[in-house]
Amino acid sequence: MIFQARPNPIEEFLVVLGFWDHLLPGFLIMLWLYGLALVMGFFLGLILAILRQYGGRIFSRVATVYIEIVRGTPLVAQLLLLFYLPTSLNIPITAWKLEVSLTLLDKDMTITLLNQATLTGIITLGLNSAAYQAEYFRGAILSVGDGQIIAAQSLGMSRFSGIYHIVLPQTLRRVIPSWSNEAAYLPKYTVVVYFIGVKELFREAYYIITNPYISANPLTVYIVIAIIFLIMISLITKGLDILHKRTGIPGL
Amino acid sequence: MLELINVWKSYEDLQVLKGISFKVLEREVKVIFGPSGSGKSTLLRCINMLNPPDKGEIFLRGINLNKPETNLNAIRSRIGMVFQHFNLFAHLKAIDNVSIGLRRVKGLSKEEARIKALETLNRVKMTKWADHYPAQLSGGQQQRVGIARALAMEPDVILFDEPTSALDPELIGDVLQVMLDIAKSGTTMIVVTHELGFARAVASEMIFLGEGTILERGTPQHFFTSPKSERVKKFLEQLDILYGGHEKLLELSNGEENK
Repeated sequence: MIFQARPNPIEEFLVVLGFWDHLLPGFLIMLWLYGLALVMGFFLGLILAILRQYGGRIFSRVATVYIEIVRGTPLVAQLLLLFYLPTSLNIPITAWKLEVSLTLLDKDMTITLLNQATLTGIITLGLNSAAYQAEYFRGAILSVGDGQIIAAQSLGMSRFSGIYHIVLPQTLRRVIPSWSNEAAYLPKYTVVVYFIGVKELFREAYYIITNPYISANPLTVYIVIAIIFLIMISLITKGLDILHKRTGIPGL
Repeated sequence: MLELINVWKSYEDLQVLKGISFKVLEREVKVIFGPSGSGKSTLLRCINMLNPPDKGEIFLRGINLNKPETNLNAIRSRIGMVFQHFNLFAHLKAIDNVSIGLRRVKGLSKEEARIKALETLNRVKMTKWADHYPAQLSGGQQQRVGIARALAMEPDVILFDEPTSALDPELIGDVLQVMLDIAKSGTTMIVVTHELGFARAVASEMIFLGEGTILERGTPQHFFTSPKSERVKKFLEQLDILYGGHEKLLELSNGEENK
């Protein structure tokens, strides 16, 4: 009988963690895409929600159509569309890029913060997240109720001033619990940029698995990545939970 | 000072106001009452142009509010409004509820607005609660803050939309007392209410609204001694049963048993 040598699991994890100089840049790229897309989606989503709620007939329609199209089509399709759009419009793609290099424990790492693919990824994720965030914001605006803006207007405040000083502060407080959904989803959606060659965690995982010199168990690699996501998202939701409690309105 | 001429308003197919006209003089307190659905709240919302009328004209100190060139925000800052459900700004302390209009509309500095807001809270006997949030206050206290919020803007007229009808009975007294005080200090008020005691004490004229028209108008004296129309008589009788006239209620129930 032939026994295949099975390495012990701890050793397998250590082998995978030995590639930290690949996992770390992948993680940082994911964080970079996530952070920028979330912020972009936040502001754009807020504007969309306000337009949909208060924008009058035309703006409200436009916002609604945008939200429905984005929510109704696959993220990968949106990404590839934006990725190939410049080419099909005959806009020349240059090989420009913005990189940072760092050396940690004698290992050199280069992170491509911006190039054609990364920028497309950030914009797609931001535009996509905006549609989802808009609906969370709209729900919160509805829950604030009409009475607040009517009262603001009865004091002589303009509609804009009423939205800004009265509705928004309450909306942003109320939205946190549901918005934390989007904050938890988005890191995992960043994975789609794998398709256009951005070196995020899964691209690095592929590199590790196919490394000809050191054999790493694919299962272990993906478990390590899953754990990275789990820790990060747990911290984010915990943070938002604390923020929600801190900003709560006394008595409510 | 305030004049309504033939005001009409409809919501889709429903004709709510059918030609309302009346004048409010300086320092006058008008009480508007009538069955629900008669258009009382709509009338108030027409006056401060939150729901502009379809037809007719409203003049505030000679300014025609229906003209497109009228700055409605400026007009609304001169017409105070107190709501049935208070509508206090939930994220602001009582004092900030009162001062926000002074700061954002009248352009007062933070300190000026604060002093003015404290003075006004004192008039409604809420100084002690200045740093509480609306959700930490009782309904009666919230409504007094609501009155202070309108009062602080020093409006030409304050509209009260059933200010006590969402309150527990034992909280109504404090609110009515505050309203009496500001009425006596010479504030022009239009009050939609069924508190006949309040009307009797300060109303210069009462208007009975039914199905979108003024069915009867007159002094409180007139309504309590010799109302003309049957509709008004019946309505007052029902109010009387609710707010005191227990003999009537007993009579009614006895009558039923005897049948």
